[in-house]
Amino acid sequence: MGLLTILKKMKQKEKEVRLLMLGLDNAGKTTILKKFNGEDIDTISPTLGFNIKTLEHRGFKLNVWDVGGQRSLRSYWRNYFESTDGLIWVVDSADRMRIQDCKQELHSLLLEERLAGSTLLVFANKQDLPGSLSSEDIKKMLDLDNIKSHHWRILPCSAVTGEHLLEGIDWTIDDIASRIFTMD
Amino acid sequence: MMMSNSPGDFHCLSLGEDQEELFTENSNSNVVDTQFDIIIGYIEDIIMEEKFQTLQNSFLERFYKEFEETEENKFIYTDIHKEYVNVLEKCLEDELSMRVPDFSMIEFTKQIIERKSELDGEIFEILLTFSDFVAFKDMFLDYRAAKEGKTVDLSTGLTITSYSEMPCDRGEINFGQN
Repeated sequence: MGLLTILKKMKQKEKEVRLLMLGLDNAGKTTILKKFNGEDIDTISPTLGFNIKTLEHRGFKLNVWDVGGQRSLRSYWRNYFESTDGLIWVVDSADRMRIQDCKQELHSLLLEERLAGSTLLVFANKQDLPGSLSSEDIKKMLDLDNIKSHHWRILPCSAVTGEHLLEGIDWTIDDIASRIFTMD
Repeated sequence: MMMSNSPGDFHCLSLGEDQEELFTENSNSNVVDTQFDIIIGYIEDIIMEEKFQTLQNSFLERFYKEFEETEENKFIYTDIHKEYVNVLEKCLEDELSMRVPDFSMIEFTKQIIERKSELDGEIFEILLTFSDFVAFKDMFLDYRAAKEGKTVDLSTGLTITSYSEMPCDRGEINFGQN
Protein backbone atom coordinates (compact mmCIF):
# COMPACT_ATOMS: atom_id res chain seq x y z
CA MET A 1 0.00 0.00 0.00
CA GLY A 2 1.36 3.36 -0.98
CA LEU A 3 1.81 6.59 0.90
CA LEU A 4 -1.25 8.30 -0.51
CA THR A 5 -3.51 5.37 0.29
CA ILE A 6 -2.26 5.30 3.84
CA LEU A 7 -2.79 9.01 4.26
CA LYS A 8 -6.29 8.63 2.96
CA LYS A 9 -7.06 5.83 5.36
CA MET A 10 -5.77 7.83 8.26
CA LYS A 11 -7.85 10.78 7.22
CA GLN A 12 -10.89 8.59 7.48
CA LYS A 13 -10.48 8.43 11.20
CA GLU A 14 -12.30 11.73 11.37
CA LYS A 15 -15.69 10.11 11.12
CA GLU A 16 -15.58 9.41 7.46
CA VAL A 17 -17.61 6.44 6.35
CA ARG A 18 -17.48 4.78 2.98
CA LEU A 19 -20.65 3.07 1.84
CA LEU A 20 -20.83 0.96 -1.29
CA MET A 21 -24.26 0.49 -2.80
CA LEU A 22 -24.68 -2.51 -5.06
CA GLY A 23 -27.46 -4.70 -6.40
CA LEU A 24 -28.92 -5.87 -9.68
CA ASP A 25 -29.79 -3.31 -12.32
CA ASN A 26 -33.10 -1.53 -11.83
CA ALA A 27 -33.06 -2.21 -8.09
CA GLY A 28 -33.20 1.51 -7.36
CA LYS A 29 -29.69 2.24 -6.11
CA THR A 30 -29.33 5.63 -7.75
CA THR A 31 -32.87 6.57 -6.79
CA ILE A 32 -32.14 5.76 -3.15
CA LEU A 33 -28.97 7.81 -3.30
CA LYS A 34 -30.72 10.81 -4.81
CA LYS A 35 -33.75 10.57 -2.58
CA PHE A 36 -31.57 10.41 0.48
CA ASN A 37 -29.71 13.45 -0.77
CA GLY A 38 -32.94 15.36 -1.36
CA GLU A 39 -32.60 15.44 -5.13
CA ASP A 40 -35.16 15.09 -7.87
CA ILE A 41 -35.79 11.42 -8.71
CA ASP A 42 -37.98 11.80 -11.80
CA THR A 43 -35.31 11.60 -14.46
CA ILE A 44 -33.01 8.79 -13.49
CA SER A 45 -31.68 6.57 -16.24
CA PRO A 46 -29.80 3.27 -15.88
CA THR A 47 -26.34 3.78 -14.43
CA LEU A 48 -23.61 2.67 -16.81
CA GLY A 49 -20.73 3.79 -14.64
CA PHE A 50 -20.87 4.94 -11.06
CA ASN A 51 -22.07 7.84 -8.90
CA ILE A 52 -20.49 9.27 -5.81
CA LYS A 53 -22.10 11.48 -3.24
CA THR A 54 -20.60 12.93 -0.14
CA LEU A 55 -23.25 13.58 2.47
CA GLU A 56 -23.01 15.10 5.89
CA HIS A 57 -25.22 13.17 8.27
CA ARG A 58 -25.22 13.16 12.08
CA GLY A 59 -21.70 14.54 12.12
CA PHE A 60 -20.44 11.82 9.84
CA LYS A 61 -19.10 12.36 6.39
CA LEU A 62 -20.68 9.67 4.25
CA ASN A 63 -19.01 8.81 0.98
CA VAL A 64 -21.60 6.81 -0.90
CA TRP A 65 -20.56 4.94 -4.03
CA ASP A 66 -23.32 3.69 -6.28
CA VAL A 67 -22.13 1.39 -9.07
CA GLY A 68 -24.19 0.26 -12.06
CA GLY A 69 -25.75 -3.19 -11.68
CA GLN A 70 -26.21 -4.50 -15.22
CA ARG A 71 -24.70 -7.93 -15.69
CA SER A 72 -21.95 -6.65 -17.97
CA LEU A 73 -20.96 -4.08 -15.36
CA ARG A 74 -20.73 -6.36 -12.35
CA SER A 75 -17.12 -7.29 -13.04
CA TYR A 76 -16.27 -3.65 -12.28
CA TRP A 77 -17.71 -3.83 -8.78
CA ARG A 78 -14.46 -5.17 -7.40
CA ASN A 79 -12.71 -1.91 -8.25
CA TYR A 80 -14.76 -0.25 -5.54
CA PHE A 81 -14.41 -2.72 -2.65
CA GLU A 82 -11.32 -1.15 -1.10
CA SER A 83 -11.90 0.61 2.22
CA THR A 84 -15.63 -0.08 2.26
CA ASP A 85 -17.15 0.24 5.73
CA GLY A 86 -20.70 -0.61 4.79
CA LEU A 87 -22.28 -2.49 1.93
CA ILE A 88 -25.83 -1.54 0.99
CA TRP A 89 -27.42 -4.27 -1.06
CA VAL A 90 -30.51 -3.03 -2.86
CA VAL A 91 -33.21 -5.48 -3.94
CA ASP A 92 -36.13 -4.84 -6.28
CA SER A 93 -38.81 -6.50 -4.16
CA ALA A 94 -41.16 -6.67 -7.13
CA ASP A 95 -38.69 -8.57 -9.32
CA ARG A 96 -39.52 -12.15 -8.36
CA MET A 97 -37.96 -13.52 -11.53
CA ARG A 98 -34.45 -12.49 -10.60
CA ILE A 99 -34.42 -13.13 -6.88
CA GLN A 100 -32.13 -16.17 -7.34
CA ASP A 101 -29.71 -14.13 -9.39
CA CYS A 102 -29.88 -11.51 -6.67
CA LYS A 103 -29.09 -14.09 -3.99
CA GLN A 104 -26.11 -15.48 -5.87
CA GLU A 105 -24.58 -12.07 -6.49
CA LEU A 106 -24.96 -11.12 -2.85
CA HIS A 107 -23.46 -14.30 -1.49
CA SER A 108 -20.47 -14.11 -3.81
CA LEU A 109 -19.84 -10.56 -2.63
CA LEU A 110 -19.80 -11.71 0.96
CA LEU A 111 -16.88 -13.98 0.16
CA GLU A 112 -14.78 -11.02 -0.96
CA GLU A 113 -11.83 -10.48 1.28
CA ARG A 114 -11.86 -6.74 0.79
CA LEU A 115 -15.44 -6.57 2.03
CA ALA A 116 -14.74 -8.68 5.08
CA GLY A 117 -15.78 -6.90 8.24
CA SER A 118 -18.08 -4.48 6.46
CA THR A 119 -21.61 -3.93 7.70
CA LEU A 120 -24.34 -5.24 5.42
CA LEU A 121 -27.65 -3.46 5.01
CA VAL A 122 -30.20 -5.04 2.68
CA PHE A 123 -32.83 -2.67 1.38
CA ALA A 124 -35.99 -4.48 0.21
CA ASN A 125 -36.83 -1.61 -2.10
CA LYS A 126 -39.99 -0.78 -4.05
CA GLN A 127 -42.37 -1.63 -1.23
CA ASP A 128 -44.70 0.95 -2.79
CA LEU A 129 -45.30 -1.36 -5.76
CA PRO A 130 -48.28 -3.73 -5.57
CA GLY A 131 -47.24 -7.38 -5.39
CA SER A 132 -43.81 -6.66 -3.99
CA LEU A 133 -42.31 -9.28 -1.69
CA SER A 134 -42.13 -8.47 2.00
CA SER A 135 -38.75 -8.04 3.64
CA GLU A 136 -39.46 -11.25 5.55
CA ASP A 137 -39.90 -13.13 2.24
CA ILE A 138 -36.74 -11.61 0.86
CA LYS A 139 -34.81 -12.47 3.99
CA LYS A 140 -35.70 -16.11 3.42
CA MET A 141 -35.16 -16.09 -0.32
CA LEU A 142 -31.74 -14.48 0.02
CA ASP A 143 -30.89 -16.87 2.85
CA LEU A 144 -29.79 -14.00 5.08
CA ASP A 145 -30.04 -16.01 8.27
CA ASN A 146 -27.05 -18.01 7.14
CA ILE A 147 -24.80 -14.98 6.95
CA LYS A 148 -22.34 -15.22 9.82
CA SER A 149 -19.49 -13.26 8.29
CA HIS A 150 -21.08 -9.81 8.46
CA HIS A 151 -23.34 -7.81 10.73
CA TRP A 152 -26.48 -7.51 8.66
CA ARG A 153 -29.99 -6.17 8.71
CA ILE A 154 -32.83 -6.08 6.22
CA LEU A 155 -35.34 -3.27 5.97
CA PRO A 156 -38.33 -2.78 3.70
CA CYS A 157 -38.10 0.57 1.96
CA SER A 158 -39.30 2.71 -0.88
CA ALA A 159 -36.94 5.05 -2.65
CA VAL A 160 -39.97 6.85 -4.08
CA THR A 161 -41.68 7.61 -0.78
CA GLY A 162 -38.46 7.63 1.22
CA GLU A 163 -39.88 5.14 3.72
CA HIS A 164 -37.21 3.61 6.01
CA LEU A 165 -34.28 5.02 4.05
CA LEU A 166 -33.10 7.11 6.97
CA GLU A 167 -33.58 4.26 9.41
CA GLY A 168 -31.42 2.02 7.25
CA ILE A 169 -28.63 4.53 6.89
CA ASP A 170 -28.74 5.29 10.63
CA TRP A 171 -28.47 1.62 11.55
CA THR A 172 -25.57 1.19 9.14
CA ILE A 173 -23.71 4.16 10.60
CA ASP A 174 -24.34 3.00 14.16
CA ASP A 175 -23.02 -0.45 13.39
CA ILE A 176 -19.93 0.91 11.64
CA ALA A 177 -19.32 3.48 14.35
CA SER A 178 -19.46 0.85 17.07
CA ARG A 179 -16.75 -1.07 15.26
CA ILE A 180 -14.48 1.73 14.14
CA PHE A 181 -14.76 4.92 16.08
CA THR A 182 -14.87 3.59 19.61
CA MET A 183 -11.18 2.76 19.31
CA ASP A 184 -10.03 6.40 19.52
CA MET B 1 -8.18 -2.34 -20.44
CA MET B 2 -10.32 0.31 -22.00
CA MET B 3 -7.63 2.90 -22.23
CA SER B 4 -6.17 3.58 -25.62
CA ASN B 5 -3.19 5.34 -24.13
CA SER B 6 -1.44 3.40 -21.49
CA PRO B 7 -0.44 5.76 -18.73
CA GLY B 8 2.15 3.28 -17.54
CA ASP B 9 5.05 4.87 -19.36
CA PHE B 10 5.16 8.05 -17.34
CA HIS B 11 8.37 8.47 -15.53
CA CYS B 12 9.59 10.96 -13.10
CA LEU B 13 12.90 12.24 -14.36
CA SER B 14 15.15 13.39 -11.67
CA LEU B 15 18.08 15.71 -11.77
CA GLY B 16 19.47 14.63 -8.46
CA GLU B 17 20.17 18.01 -6.95
CA ASP B 18 19.77 18.77 -3.29
CA GLN B 19 21.56 15.70 -2.09
CA GLU B 20 22.70 16.48 1.35
CA GLU B 21 24.29 14.76 4.23
CA LEU B 22 21.47 14.56 6.73
CA PHE B 23 22.78 12.77 9.71
CA THR B 24 25.57 14.71 11.25
CA GLU B 25 24.54 13.89 14.77
CA ASN B 26 23.19 10.65 16.09
CA SER B 27 23.33 11.37 19.74
CA ASN B 28 19.68 11.59 20.72
CA SER B 29 16.15 10.58 19.83
CA ASN B 30 15.54 13.88 18.10
CA VAL B 31 17.27 12.40 15.12
CA VAL B 32 14.12 10.52 14.19
CA ASP B 33 12.03 13.66 14.56
CA THR B 34 14.49 15.66 12.54
CA GLN B 35 14.60 13.12 9.78
CA PHE B 36 10.82 12.98 9.63
CA ASP B 37 10.59 16.75 9.37
CA ILE B 38 13.28 16.84 6.73
CA ILE B 39 11.43 14.31 4.61
CA ILE B 40 8.19 16.28 4.93
CA GLY B 41 10.12 19.36 3.85
CA TYR B 42 11.42 17.51 0.83
CA ILE B 43 7.94 16.39 -0.11
CA GLU B 44 6.84 20.02 -0.02
CA ASP B 45 9.71 20.93 -2.32
CA ILE B 46 9.09 18.06 -4.68
CA ILE B 47 5.44 18.73 -5.34
CA MET B 48 6.17 22.39 -6.03
CA GLU B 49 8.93 21.59 -8.47
CA GLU B 50 8.53 21.79 -12.20
CA LYS B 51 9.25 18.13 -12.66
CA PHE B 52 6.31 17.06 -10.57
CA GLN B 53 4.07 19.70 -12.07
CA THR B 54 5.08 18.65 -15.56
CA LEU B 55 4.28 15.07 -14.76
CA GLN B 56 0.87 16.05 -13.51
CA ASN B 57 0.31 18.23 -16.51
CA SER B 58 1.24 15.61 -19.06
CA PHE B 59 -1.19 13.29 -17.34
CA LEU B 60 -3.95 15.87 -17.67
CA GLU B 61 -3.06 16.52 -21.27
CA ARG B 62 -3.18 12.87 -22.12
CA PHE B 63 -6.52 11.98 -20.61
CA TYR B 64 -8.62 15.10 -20.29
CA LYS B 65 -10.74 14.22 -23.30
CA GLU B 66 -12.06 11.17 -21.47
CA PHE B 67 -13.66 13.38 -18.83
CA GLU B 68 -17.12 14.76 -19.34
CA GLU B 69 -19.16 17.25 -17.40
CA THR B 70 -21.75 14.73 -16.27
CA GLU B 71 -22.66 13.68 -12.79
CA GLU B 72 -22.25 10.01 -13.53
CA ASN B 73 -18.71 8.73 -13.76
CA LYS B 74 -17.29 6.37 -16.33
CA PHE B 75 -15.39 3.30 -15.18
CA ILE B 76 -12.34 4.47 -17.08
CA TYR B 77 -11.98 7.36 -14.63
CA THR B 78 -11.15 4.82 -11.97
CA ASP B 79 -8.44 3.24 -14.12
CA ILE B 80 -6.93 6.62 -14.85
CA HIS B 81 -7.13 7.60 -11.20
CA LYS B 82 -5.34 4.47 -10.04
CA GLU B 83 -2.59 5.04 -12.55
CA TYR B 84 -2.33 8.67 -11.52
CA VAL B 85 -1.86 7.79 -7.88
CA ASN B 86 0.77 5.20 -8.79
CA VAL B 87 2.68 7.59 -11.00
CA LEU B 88 2.72 10.43 -8.49
CA GLU B 89 3.70 8.12 -5.71
CA LYS B 90 6.50 6.67 -7.77
CA CYS B 91 7.74 10.16 -8.50
CA LEU B 92 7.69 11.11 -4.83
CA GLU B 93 9.52 7.97 -3.90
CA ASP B 94 12.15 8.38 -6.62
CA GLU B 95 12.76 11.98 -5.70
CA LEU B 96 13.00 11.22 -2.01
CA SER B 97 15.44 8.42 -2.71
CA MET B 98 17.66 10.92 -4.55
CA ARG B 99 17.71 13.25 -1.58
CA VAL B 100 17.69 10.97 1.40
CA PRO B 101 20.32 8.24 1.60
CA ASP B 102 18.70 4.88 2.30
CA PHE B 103 15.22 6.33 2.09
CA SER B 104 12.56 3.72 2.67
CA MET B 105 8.96 4.50 1.81
CA ILE B 106 7.83 1.64 4.03
CA GLU B 107 9.73 3.06 6.97
CA PHE B 108 8.42 6.55 6.27
CA THR B 109 4.79 5.47 6.03
CA LYS B 110 5.24 3.68 9.34
CA GLN B 111 6.42 6.92 10.91
CA ILE B 112 3.46 8.73 9.45
CA ILE B 113 1.08 6.25 11.03
CA GLU B 114 2.79 6.71 14.38
CA ARG B 115 2.41 10.46 14.10
CA LYS B 116 -1.06 10.58 12.72
CA SER B 117 -2.29 12.92 15.42
CA GLU B 118 0.20 15.53 14.21
CA LEU B 119 -0.87 15.40 10.60
CA ASP B 120 -2.78 18.60 10.12
CA GLY B 121 -0.52 20.55 7.87
CA GLU B 122 -1.29 21.85 4.44
CA ILE B 123 1.11 19.39 2.94
CA PHE B 124 -1.13 16.52 3.96
CA GLU B 125 -4.16 18.23 2.55
CA ILE B 126 -2.34 18.55 -0.75
CA LEU B 127 -1.23 14.95 -0.67
CA LEU B 128 -4.76 13.88 0.11
CA THR B 129 -6.18 15.69 -2.88
CA PHE B 130 -3.90 13.57 -5.04
CA SER B 131 -5.73 10.48 -3.94
CA ASP B 132 -9.24 11.87 -3.55
CA PHE B 133 -11.36 10.78 -6.49
CA VAL B 134 -13.75 13.72 -6.51
CA ALA B 135 -10.89 16.23 -6.39
CA PHE B 136 -9.21 14.27 -9.15
CA LYS B 137 -12.27 14.39 -11.40
CA ASP B 138 -12.75 18.11 -10.75
CA MET B 139 -9.16 18.75 -11.67
CA PHE B 140 -9.69 17.05 -15.01
CA LEU B 141 -12.95 18.87 -15.69
CA ASP B 142 -11.35 22.22 -14.87
CA TYR B 143 -8.45 21.41 -17.14
CA ARG B 144 -10.77 20.43 -19.96
CA ALA B 145 -12.90 23.55 -19.53
CA ALA B 146 -9.81 25.75 -19.64
CA LYS B 147 -8.46 23.81 -22.62
CA GLU B 148 -11.65 24.24 -24.57
CA GLY B 149 -12.09 27.87 -23.65
CA LYS B 150 -15.09 27.27 -21.44
CA THR B 151 -13.86 29.18 -18.48
CA VAL B 152 -16.44 30.21 -15.95
CA ASP B 153 -18.58 33.10 -17.12
CA LEU B 154 -18.58 35.39 -14.15
CA SER B 155 -20.95 37.88 -15.77
CA THR B 156 -23.95 35.68 -15.01
CA GLY B 157 -23.34 36.04 -11.31
CA LEU B 158 -22.55 39.72 -11.36
CA THR B 159 -25.07 42.49 -10.95
CA ILE B 160 -23.97 46.05 -11.37
CA THR B 161 -26.36 48.53 -9.84
CA SER B 162 -26.24 52.08 -11.08
CA TYR B 163 -24.97 54.68 -8.69
CA SER B 164 -28.13 56.74 -8.65
CA GLU B 165 -30.26 53.82 -7.51
CA MET B 166 -28.00 52.91 -4.69
CA PRO B 167 -29.68 53.21 -1.30
CA CYS B 168 -26.51 54.52 0.21
CA ASP B 169 -24.04 56.86 -1.35
CA ARG B 170 -21.18 54.46 -1.80
CA GLY B 171 -20.71 52.66 -5.10
CA GLU B 172 -21.15 48.93 -4.67
CA ILE B 173 -21.05 45.89 -6.81
CA ASN B 174 -23.32 43.10 -5.77
CA PHE B 175 -22.36 39.57 -6.43
CA GLY B 176 -25.71 37.91 -6.81
CA GLN B 177 -26.34 34.26 -6.21
CA ASN B 178 -27.74 33.70 -9.67
